[in-house]
Amino acid sequence: MAVLRGKGLGLEIALGGRDFEEALAELQSKLDERPGFYTGTSATAALGRSGLNHDQLERMRGVLHVHGIALQGLTGGPHLEPLAAEAGLRFAALDDGGEELARRRALRPRHQVQLSDAARSLLADFAGARADIAERRKRGEASVRRAVAGQALRVAALPAQELPATLYHVGTLRGGQALEHLGNIVVVGDVNPGAELTASGDIVVFGALRGVAHAGAQGDASARVHALQLAPTQLRIATFIAVEAGDPRRAPVHPETACVQNDRIVIFPREKAPQ
Amino acid sequence: MSARTIVFTSGKGGVGKTTTTVNVGAALAKRGHRVVLVDADIGLRNLDLVLGLEKRIVFDLVEVVEGRCQLRQALIKDKRFESLSVLPAAQTRDKDAVTESQMAALVDDLAATCDYVLIDCPAGIEAGFRNAIAGAGEAIVVTTPEVSAIRDADRVIGKLGERRLPVRLVINRIRPEMVRTGDMLSVDDVCEILSAELLGIVPDDEEIIDTTNKGEPVVLNDVNRLRVIYDKIARRLEGELVPFTNLDSTGFFGRLLGALKAG
Amino acid sequence: MHQLQSEVQASAQSAALGRAIVITSGKGGVGKTTTTANLGTALARRGAKVALVDADVGLRNLDIVMGLESRVKHHVLDVLEEKVAADEALVRDKHTATLYLLAAAQTREKEDVDTEKMRALVESLRERFDFVLIDCPAGIEKGFRNAVVGAREAIVVCTPEVSAVRDVDRVVGLLGNDFAPQLIINRVRPQLVKKGKMLSVDDVNAILRLPLLGVIADEPEVIVSTNKGEPLALRNDGPTAAAYHAIAARVAGEDVPAPTVEYKESFMTKLGALFGGKR
Repeated sequence: MAVLRGKGLGLEIALGGRDFEEALAELQSKLDERPGFYTGTSATAALGRSGLNHDQLERMRGVLHVHGIALQGLTGGPHLEPLAAEAGLRFAALDDGGEELARRRALRPRHQVQLSDAARSLLADFAGARADIAERRKRGEASVRRAVAGQALRVAALPAQELPATLYHVGTLRGGQALEHLGNIVVVGDVNPGAELTASGDIVVFGALRGVAHAGAQGDASARVHALQLAPTQLRIATFIAVEAGDPRRAPVHPETACVQNDRIVIFPREKAPQ
Repeated sequence: MSARTIVFTSGKGGVGKTTTTVNVGAALAKRGHRVVLVDADIGLRNLDLVLGLEKRIVFDLVEVVEGRCQLRQALIKDKRFESLSVLPAAQTRDKDAVTESQMAALVDDLAATCDYVLIDCPAGIEAGFRNAIAGAGEAIVVTTPEVSAIRDADRVIGKLGERRLPVRLVINRIRPEMVRTGDMLSVDDVCEILSAELLGIVPDDEEIIDTTNKGEPVVLNDVNRLRVIYDKIARRLEGELVPFTNLDSTGFFGRLLGALKAG
Repeated sequence: MHQLQSEVQASAQSAALGRAIVITSGKGGVGKTTTTANLGTALARRGAKVALVDADVGLRNLDIVMGLESRVKHHVLDVLEEKVAADEALVRDKHTATLYLLAAAQTREKEDVDTEKMRALVESLRERFDFVLIDCPAGIEKGFRNAVVGAREAIVVCTPEVSAVRDVDRVVGLLGNDFAPQLIINRVRPQLVKKGKMLSVDDVNAILRLPLLGVIADEPEVIVSTNKGEPLALRNDGPTAAAYHAIAARVAGEDVPAPTVEYKESFMTKLGALFGGKR
């Protein structure tokens, strides 16, 4: 389970059920990957049933402070309350298994938010996808087909599913910034050209998507990309890759959804997207 | 036979390194050479944008160096030319993502597959600059006839000399009307200060901004006079002795301004 | 009681601290140094005490643009390495009495700068000056980090070109939430914008989404002034001087009307007038 997660408007440091030194090292390296990216954010440390001593707390605070992150609270068992009070942190008791959840997740294979080998070799097939785009261009076809309004759509009953974890980011992503997540990604803000989103699930941009978005990055071709303004530099779903044909300055005026149909990426107006 | 590996550098930013790399590369490709352009500006990539290829980037230089893809998968072939490819930089990484020896090895690999490897160097003289020159056998320094640009070019020429890289000069954005009124240094002034061999003189041209915004190398435009100039630079690189023309004979500015050079 | 008093003193002191503003862009050649020189001059002419700091170690240019290169005896690294005090290194401007320059070293490297000492230096300058303007080098490497470390605010300079917008966006992302960056769009050519051959202010700010501090047209007078070492803000006339004076007023907190650039008659027409209308 990732040590650093988005939670609400801030960050959650997940320490429950983990070796502290290991988690701290992982936290450090995650933060070092994106210097300045989290500056100004606040964080809560979730301990589950694990303990934490004063020294460990201060070290963690130190690591966060260097990156401009303010530690604001602790959650976990009641034994943490005095520590939190002494350190001037908010405290919320979590009496069930924050640790139970952590233990269950620890049993799952540990990912460092990387693509699996299978997905990597699928990515390598993009070369073929590119060649395909080239062929289509030569034949005068657009690489991205926009669905014509008025197509008949089926509404199927959806089984209740456990949704994968969603990374929720509030703010605009600027060029050079990237978000990667096992699960869905929601961005409330714009995604500028030069920014990249990679999600194993869906991607939702509540703003203008102008960068690169890769949904279904582990190979799930049913993944979708939604945006208020879908104008990406490049769109990828699973192993499908698409580039917009046409005048790049024309901005779409209504929300749209991209999905894979008949082995290509197709864009629908939001309300007409198939279920 | 291995390719010639040439880095385009300047010290000062914004003098036209990327535009020059793209147009010289395109001119060489038009003349039948196999050319690969390498964007060494990790984190601030622009080469793809100037060529209009930004939407086709799937892999980049850093992923090649990290072994996450093959070199040929990262190269983007430019459809408008028979033999021009681009290796884009990464955007979400920093200059410390690659080392000098990794860059040198990468350029070596590329050199085995083509005739010219042109490396677009970032501004400055920090690690990004050192990485960019690591794989190069020759250097082209781009400068404008402004005091700050010349000062920076001078510093860069000194550093290139430390690595024993042969240096040639491209003077960009000359405005003949300002040279005439004494408001801008002349070509002779610049060459004297920098004492480097002159490769090309490119006049300031309004069209360039629009073409770089649109991703269309000016070399593709038959009407623009700069096409001829970049072609001459390509020929000089090939070893031909091409004289620098007088602006006299080329229309509007020629009428006004007497024997001022370009070409 | 004692603690309360020292707290009050501390906050009174910090209220007197000057503003430390880094002028940056990522992209080179957009006019950071010219802006630092002119904004500093304009602010000083309004009576403020201004220190300009050139953070472009190894490729220093601020001194040239200010026309002070012959007066520079010591540079930032001399101060950071405690070879001289900041007072000895600060060069007073030729024209404006409350304007000072701390030049960069030419024969050293950006890697030589200790960022913590740089931060301390900027803090100490804030105690004596109303404004500390830091001229940032191009790029996002150590030179950028050196320039940013002491600053509390940022002015980003961008030209209406797609590559510049990309680079500036990256820098704004790196700056994060702490610098309240404001935007100057430089080297606009209104006639080209009108013809659709150049990005407009709206095109640029559709991506950058920053508060707009000023829009400055591309004028030949700028190159002339940087070559001569006389910032245009020394003058009271001319469009560039006016633009910088307006920017200085906004930076100082005045409510100045929205920046615009007028479309002037074209180069061709001007020449026509000069040569009796014949081609």
